[in-house]
Amino acid sequence: MTGTMTEAAEAARGSAPGAGVREMSLQQAVNAALRTVLEQDPDTLVFGEDVGALGGVFRVTDGLQRDFGAERVFDTPLAESAIVGMAVGLAMNGWRPIPELQFDGFAYPAVDQIVNQLARMHYRSRGTAPMPVTLRLPSFGGIQAPEHHGESLEALFAHVPGLKVCAPSDPQDAYRLLVQSVRCDDPVVYMEPKARYWERRPVDTAAGAGDMPVGRSRVLRPGRHATLVAWGAMVHRCLQAAEYAAEDGVELEVVDLRWLKPIDAEGLAASVSRTRRAVVVHEAPLTAGLGAEVGSLVTERAFGALAAPVERVAGFDVPYPAGPLEPQYLPTIDRILSAVQRTLEYERP
Amino acid sequence: MTDTTERTFTLPDLGEGLVEATVLEWLAAPGDEIARNAPLVELETTKSAVEIPSPHGGTVARLHAAEGDVVQVGEPLVTFVVEAPAGGAGAQSGIVGRVPAEEEPPRRRVRLRPPQE
Repeated sequence: MTGTMTEAAEAARGSAPGAGVREMSLQQAVNAALRTVLEQDPDTLVFGEDVGALGGVFRVTDGLQRDFGAERVFDTPLAESAIVGMAVGLAMNGWRPIPELQFDGFAYPAVDQIVNQLARMHYRSRGTAPMPVTLRLPSFGGIQAPEHHGESLEALFAHVPGLKVCAPSDPQDAYRLLVQSVRCDDPVVYMEPKARYWERRPVDTAAGAGDMPVGRSRVLRPGRHATLVAWGAMVHRCLQAAEYAAEDGVELEVVDLRWLKPIDAEGLAASVSRTRRAVVVHEAPLTAGLGAEVGSLVTERAFGALAAPVERVAGFDVPYPAGPLEPQYLPTIDRILSAVQRTLEYERP
Repeated sequence: MTDTTERTFTLPDLGEGLVEATVLEWLAAPGDEIARNAPLVELETTKSAVEIPSPHGGTVARLHAAEGDVVQVGEPLVTFVVEAPAGGAGAQSGIVGRVPAEEEPPRRRVRLRPPQE
């Protein structure tokens, strides 16, 4: 066992309500949330490729099989459609499955099961077959990994009726949103920002998630000149951009969307009504990305307040590039600030 | 007598964002002559045990970690004495990839002009 494994196990142990605040990485926070739900709900099951004996390629499920047994935490064959199909069958039989697909790009083989079974079984069964499945999907780029390891599929899943989608941006929210996702009786795609796995922050595992409604965004930094909207790893980048903007006397509000389906339209409208400008930032390609949805919601709900068109800063309409090109593909501070400047100097024709 | 220079090999990212590795066994000792790509050290990451080939040909000068030690990505593993390349010391070599880190925020060039109010 390496230092990380021991540390993860220690950080996660005793994470049930009452354990209080301790510093942990985002990856350890996910582990702690899994421990919490495994401890509290005997119907929960964790399975996927390498999640059992190995403890996950990112150590996220470290020690879970040891502590909760191979009947509740187990390895599956390399077959994503089987992983999700099994989750659907288990859910129909009263379990609360938490399957993992090892990487974003490996979700494609499971799309049939996700779209045609998982998302619509509740509807198809006239509400008699709930689907309390939380599909963990390590997502987004920024770790210079090979192909299929840096993709952003939120728009794909958000487009499927019956699915909920969320993406935490920091350790506390990773914990909170995962507990919330598992307790939700609908299928949730929980997208973990791989590039932030190593960020260490205090996490209050006693805070729970019961008091937080699904689909609620949060303002991470208040500002008055423009609103930056982001989720996952781009939240951190937007906070950095806001720091720089402050040096120039421009106060940017940063909204962490958290939930990508449903999207907090009211929260967005409230922020933009204050700032009058919005820039949405995401890693996924621009065209038909969620930036368009955010822009549309803001325009519908806060049209009167808008001083400029909603700007989008996104990945490009190309396949996700190889590692060395990531810095050119992912939204940069300069691209974000340039979009902000366009909103600041926009003049109505 | 050719000029020699020292080269320190730091722990590379051994794949998919792993941040550290444990030294299982050194396959070379200080003073050993070692060929490029010869077995150098066996490391265990949280994902697997891997044998790392020597990135340089030369003499092993110092080991920076003992067997059983946990080494963070980017920390020195071993220093070699190698023949100095023509034109001075070249860049350090690694194997693949990197772990995202937060040492410094990305730089910016764009500056903003606050709106007139």
